[in-house]
Amino acid sequence: MSSLRHRLKSLSLALRMIVASAVLAALVASVFAVLINAVSGLNDATRREAHAKDVTAATLRLEKLVLDLETGVRGYILTGEDGFLKPYREARQELASGRLREFERLASTTPEQGRRARNLTTAIRQYEQDYAVNLLNIARANPPAARDFVAREEGQRRTDEIRGQFTNFLAAENALAAASAGSADRQADRAVALAIAGLIASTLLIILFGIYLARSTARPVRGVAQAATRLAGGDLSTRLDEKGPGPGEVGELQVAFNQMAEQLERGRAELESQNEKLRESERLKSELVSIVSHELRTPLASVLGFTSLLLTREVSPEEQRRYLEIIDAQGRRLSSLLNDFLDIERLEEGQLKLARELFDMGTLVGEQAQLFAGQSEKHQLDVVLPPRPLPVRGDPDRMAQVVANLLSNAIKYSPEGGTVEVVGQREDDRVRVSVRDEGLGIPDELQEQVFGKFFRGDAPASGIAGTGLGLTIARSLVEAHGGTISFESATGEGSVFWLELPIAANDR
Amino acid sequence: MTRLFYVFVIAAGFAVIGLSNGWSLGSSAATGPGTIRITSREISRVRVDAGRPGRGPGDTEIVRLNLFNKRIKRQPIGHADYVCTFVTSGTRSCTATIFLPKGRLVAGGSIRFPELYELAVLGGTRLYDNARGTLTVIRTTRRPRRDIFVFRLTG
Repeated sequence: MSSLRHRLKSLSLALRMIVASAVLAALVASVFAVLINAVSGLNDATRREAHAKDVTAATLRLEKLVLDLETGVRGYILTGEDGFLKPYREARQELASGRLREFERLASTTPEQGRRARNLTTAIRQYEQDYAVNLLNIARANPPAARDFVAREEGQRRTDEIRGQFTNFLAAENALAAASAGSADRQADRAVALAIAGLIASTLLIILFGIYLARSTARPVRGVAQAATRLAGGDLSTRLDEKGPGPGEVGELQVAFNQMAEQLERGRAELESQNEKLRESERLKSELVSIVSHELRTPLASVLGFTSLLLTREVSPEEQRRYLEIIDAQGRRLSSLLNDFLDIERLEEGQLKLARELFDMGTLVGEQAQLFAGQSEKHQLDVVLPPRPLPVRGDPDRMAQVVANLLSNAIKYSPEGGTVEVVGQREDDRVRVSVRDEGLGIPDELQEQVFGKFFRGDAPASGIAGTGLGLTIARSLVEAHGGTISFESATGEGSVFWLELPIAANDR
Repeated sequence: MTRLFYVFVIAAGFAVIGLSNGWSLGSSAATGPGTIRITSREISRVRVDAGRPGRGPGDTEIVRLNLFNKRIKRQPIGHADYVCTFVTSGTRSCTATIFLPKGRLVAGGSIRFPELYELAVLGGTRLYDNARGTLTVIRTTRRPRRDIFVFRLTG
């Protein structure tokens, strides 16, 4: 049973429909066959009934002929008038024309009736040949002999015998006809019952077929339609149960639907991702424009302002020098900004060319620390370097840029001053440089964005200048040298930024 | 093969006819009621005139007949002997002994018209032991004298 169900389940929808239609057709054909059989049976019964009527009519006709024979003979014997022989002669003529053979043929539907018919025709022939013909001859030669009681009794005996046989024959024929009619009635009743049963079975089968179609096709298809509606409504997570009741084609439709839904969901995710990137790009662009305009405007305003002062006013040589120094500083700041922009663009486009020189990271860190040492009176710069060199292969200028950025940030984000500790050291096969400050620290929620472009945290509110590109450039440069850069920070306690670079191979 | 088949069919046909007629004659009589039909042909008739000349009481007539069942064979299947004594000028009292293949039947009674008469079957021998019934005889031709014998046996 389960194997049959499994086999049925493995059939395609088309094949299942063909099988179901074939079963239905077979049942309907069976019902029709039963009905045809019943109709055929009724036809047979009708034929038998008609035949029985024919036999009865032939029997009655034969009985009449016998009566004519008897009447004619008796009339002639009693009167001696030839006119009384008319019915006798007509009856004999008709009997001679094959009436008896025809009767035998008609009556031979059953062996028993055939035997009765043969006995009857024999008795009639003997009545005619043995009795009637001879008695008439006797009557012509010796009329008293023909009128003798012996002749009467013999005639009576023979006709009684024939009548008795007629009676028996007709009774048997009627019984046969009645049995045939009864059989036909029973057959018709049985056929009607079978037809009704077949009709009910066909109806039930059609209903079952409909339910089956609804379950196996319409329901899964409706499920697909509903899922498609949900999908169209934006619910791309909609999926269909592929192990559902649907047959082959519907199952394929469900699988195809799920694949389509997955594709759509993936496509939408990609679109959303791209959209997010576009939004981020737009935001960055807006921020860039804002920062650039702000960052460039400030030094540019200073340059223009002090240049205007120098051109329009008579100032002392000391003031003139101070103004020029300010203009120089702001010009450098402008230049630095532009360099940062250029660097980030080159890094993003992969066009920044880096030298592959062997240099001592310790020396580089020392020089940068020395450059920043005198920039702020509030800060104390502690540099800890090992006695041995920290050889690194790469672009020393770019690494100097990175270290300078870390030092610059440490000073900038420690507005209250404090110690800035710079440490250079070896760690296994790496060179590690860390810059620790005692500044503002970075709130936890912002730490993930620290290396993002243009990220400046609370710096703008605190009046700390900058583009938010320094750490982005630093990370790109360190990673371009095969190193890593990271930090640890706590709000109000300061931060430590560190970078690690592979130590140069020949110095390991 | 074909010839053998026809021989078989003819033999079977004769057997069926024989069983239902002459050959089964004794069997029919012995086993119960039945009708036997055979024909006869007179072969001799002798009248002994006693008393006054011409037919009259006391005259004796002895008649011998051959019996046939033409459906079985053309030759006689037996014969019958009639011994009649005239009781009037037209009526005679007869005793007939009918010799059939499987026994004899004895019939007797009065015959007024020899063209059509009826005798009582009084008994028989062998197969027809204790036979009872009637024998009706109807003349079919006068020259030669031929009759139809119808035995209606009741037991």
